Amino acid sequence: MSHDELDRILSGEPEIVPSSGFTANVMDTVRREATEPPPIPFPWRRVLPGLAVSVVALGMLVAMGLSEMRQMPANKISIPIEWVAVARQLAAPEAGWGALALLLCICSWTLVRHFPGWRS
Amino acid sequence: MQPRPAGTGLTGGGGARPVSAAEDRAQVGKVLAGDIAAFEPIVRRWQGPLVNLAYRFCRDRARAEDMAQEAFLRAYRGLHQWRRDAAFSTWLFAVAANVYRSELRRIPPAVPLERAAQLKDARAFDGLEAQDRDRAVRELVQTLPPKYRDAVVLFYFHEMDVPAAARSLDVREGTLKARLSRAREILRSKLARLLTAQKEAR
Repeated sequence: MSHDELDRILSGEPEIVPSSGFTANVMDTVRREATEPPPIPFPWRRVLPGLAVSVVALGMLVAMGLSEMRQMPANKISIPIEWVAVARQLAAPEAGWGALALLLCICSWTLVRHFPGWRS
Repeated sequence: MQPRPAGTGLTGGGGARPVSAAEDRAQVGKVLAGDIAAFEPIVRRWQGPLVNLAYRFCRDRARAEDMAQEAFLRAYRGLHQWRRDAAFSTWLFAVAANVYRSELRRIPPAVPLERAAQLKDARAFDGLEAQDRDRAVRELVQTLPPKYRDAVVLFYFHEMDVPAAARSLDVREGTLKARLSRAREILRSKLARLLTAQKEAR
């Protein structure tokens, strides 16, 4: 098939006419959209400080764990030192509360993302 | 070249009138000021082109209207993003093309592929009247890889206007030309395979 014939066929597409109620349907949808309250944006301003504190806390936790491991005699270390450090810190009661708070944070964020209707 | 809005589609005759960029601009201004009813003339003016463009992507009339409705809704939501330095139609077609491409990624068109499978039977292709054969060629476009299909659909929708099609696709003109060239090659090879099979079947 020649280039011109391909052009002729593809540019000679017959046109379809939108159904008579098309405009009304679109306008109904647009009006519905306009009357709906806008979705509440995710409260990044409130979340960010908490997130920043969590990151700093996690960093401190790891740093503390590492410095503690460095002070330990080498022959006592049989598993990767980072794992031991993290496990030790996690065993502390404060770490449990921190983990719970993080978990709650993640759960509520996931719920808000999956159920947009809950925002309003 | 700017597409002509018409009641019946991009190149349709009935009800066609010159594009009034000023009208678009004024009505968009009203909508942005809170007058929702001002969006209705915009829908009336552009419904033909948008439904026809959607139809070229999916080749299903009912789905084309659904897709065009979604495109209008997306345009309404993003009306404030239209920068007045470009024609409203340019922006609207880019929005619509994005909506249609996403929609086809989500649910690929089913009918054309079935049809294409039928066309593998060379005798079926042989028996087609010229009109049906043309339709079969148009449906073969749906079997192209998406980036080539999009280039072909928009190029012919914009009446073979490369800059307009490139703007709608948000690609460079050179990229569009390369894709068109490759798309034609693929189409020709698919058609050649059909015709060869047809001869062998005789």
